[in-house]
Amino acid sequence: MKGWLWLMIGLLVVGCGRAEDSWQRVQENGVLHVGLDPTYPPFAVATTDDLFGFDVDLARALADELGLQVQFAYFGYDGLYDALGARQADVLISALIIDPTRTRDFAYSDPYFNAGQMLLVPAGSPINGPADLRQTTLAVELGSEGHVQGLAWGRQIVGLMVLPLNSPEQVIEAVGQKEADAALLDHINARLHLAQTDYDLHLAPTPITVEPYALVVRAQDKQLLAHLNIALHTLTTNGTLDRLSTHWLDGP
Amino acid sequence: MPVYRPALRLLLLIFLLTLLQPNPVLVTPGPRQQVITHHPVIGVHTRLTDEVEPWKIQRSLQLVREMGSPWIVEFFPWAYYQAEDGYIAWEHQDLVVEHAYAQGLTIIARLGWTPAWARPPDTPIAYLDETAYPAFAQYAAAFAQRYRGKVEYLIVGNEPNLSREWGYRQTTPADYVELLRVVYPAVKAANPDIVVLGGALAPTLEPIGSAQGLNDLDYLRQMYEGGAAAYFDGLAVHTYGFNFPPHAEPAPDILNFRRVELLRDIMVAYGDEATDMYITEMGWNDHPRWTMAVRPAQRIQYTLDAFRYAETYWPYVKVAALWMFRLPAPDRSHMDYFTLVTPEFVTKPIYQEIRQWARDEG
Repeated sequence: MKGWLWLMIGLLVVGCGRAEDSWQRVQENGVLHVGLDPTYPPFAVATTDDLFGFDVDLARALADELGLQVQFAYFGYDGLYDALGARQADVLISALIIDPTRTRDFAYSDPYFNAGQMLLVPAGSPINGPADLRQTTLAVELGSEGHVQGLAWGRQIVGLMVLPLNSPEQVIEAVGQKEADAALLDHINARLHLAQTDYDLHLAPTPITVEPYALVVRAQDKQLLAHLNIALHTLTTNGTLDRLSTHWLDGP
Repeated sequence: MPVYRPALRLLLLIFLLTLLQPNPVLVTPGPRQQVITHHPVIGVHTRLTDEVEPWKIQRSLQLVREMGSPWIVEFFPWAYYQAEDGYIAWEHQDLVVEHAYAQGLTIIARLGWTPAWARPPDTPIAYLDETAYPAFAQYAAAFAQRYRGKVEYLIVGNEPNLSREWGYRQTTPADYVELLRVVYPAVKAANPDIVVLGGALAPTLEPIGSAQGLNDLDYLRQMYEGGAAAYFDGLAVHTYGFNFPPHAEPAPDILNFRRVELLRDIMVAYGDEATDMYITEMGWNDHPRWTMAVRPAQRIQYTLDAFRYAETYWPYVKVAALWMFRLPAPDRSHMDYFTLVTPEFVTKPIYQEIRQWARDEG
């Protein structure tokens, strides 16, 4: 597998103009400039003297894997793509969802996290997906995307009752207290709040929706992207990515 | 030859079937409807500017009516419609106005953006300088005349206290007063019934001298000092709650929903208490990561409380229009989390809650 990926990189090196690609400069300088929005816990948070989070650790691990130093640059969430386009960073690692409308100017790595909706059920529950929701009560956060999805299911699934509640904590409490058979929450809120309860609950294995987070580079930086993908692949296979996810989302 | 006959027949059949296309869907505005609501203060800013298909324009406006909102605010970009020789393409504007009128909605039309021929080369679409004021006034007058009886309100420009809304031309409130002075009489001459709204000021804390713009309070004061009162019939304002609940106390150094009261104080101080206010953008956002957002349940509660607040305490506010009803396509940013309806016309829980409240008397 790895040999195949190196072959791909070789072909890209031959096929692409070196002058256009940032990889050569990054390699020569030994520094990867990472752009992020440091206001999104637990992915990136900046304090006066610290920066921490899932994306921060991921950036450091990727740089290590590539033999580079990492240097962070902070941008507002709205300004991330403009900053990348203006060469203020080499790569964005900032919980960004793959956006097909931007692929003329930007390229995305393989996904490293799915932030989509997940079903949360008690241990031993027979519920694994929407097909198992007949004659059940589904707790959702009022007004959320999970609520919209729940209402859509309510029109299709016989006997499904949707129970909207004001916060993710209340949603999880409802399942823990058996007032609901399952809950539909986004992956991040589900994990973060599950970590804070004593109830024996878990996430159904198949995500209901897919909102893939990925690294972003300028479209012409194909070599850089290929190297980042290789490093990401390594971090996935050696368990680093899982460890980061557990550390930042599942608590101590 | 007989061997080929079935194949030829099949080809002929396929050819004939390709000719059997259904007629294109005819979308007609239909007879005028009535908005049923107990709360006529409810309004929404629609985003039909880039909506192409007539059925989607109609469906959007139907949903507005069914929600119980008697008002819409809609943007009509001059840059899209008028050619250098003066020709104005009315087709899309007609579609929006006719369908909104048929749904029984009161339209506040926001006019802005400058055609390339009316601004210097390589300037942004929002760039507008005084050489183009007469041409803009001419378009605004043509608009007001064409839609007399159907469009009753017109906003001149948008958020003039931000430099990006002038295409980053450095301006002062006096520049905006001059724009009003040129546009107002032209529009009134074309349609004396139309209510011209000035302002649509952005809520911002930018200090005097900032390159980004000027805070709305100082800007409004300077508008009055420059004699703007003679050139608008109502004041349009934008007010966002950000992280604050709607009843949070206003203050000059805080941006929250009740900033409207500070603007009102300025109007009164300049003796303009007879002039009404129109909130043409407001609302809360429930994006999961935008720092100025709230949780979805809070967004619903704050929005309903804001309508109640405006209705109860602000008799001078004629409409409180939420930014924004629906986008033609996902923006894939926090903007998606201002909407009430998805691009696929799925109504969000906040839409359902507003609709329910519009039907309630309390």
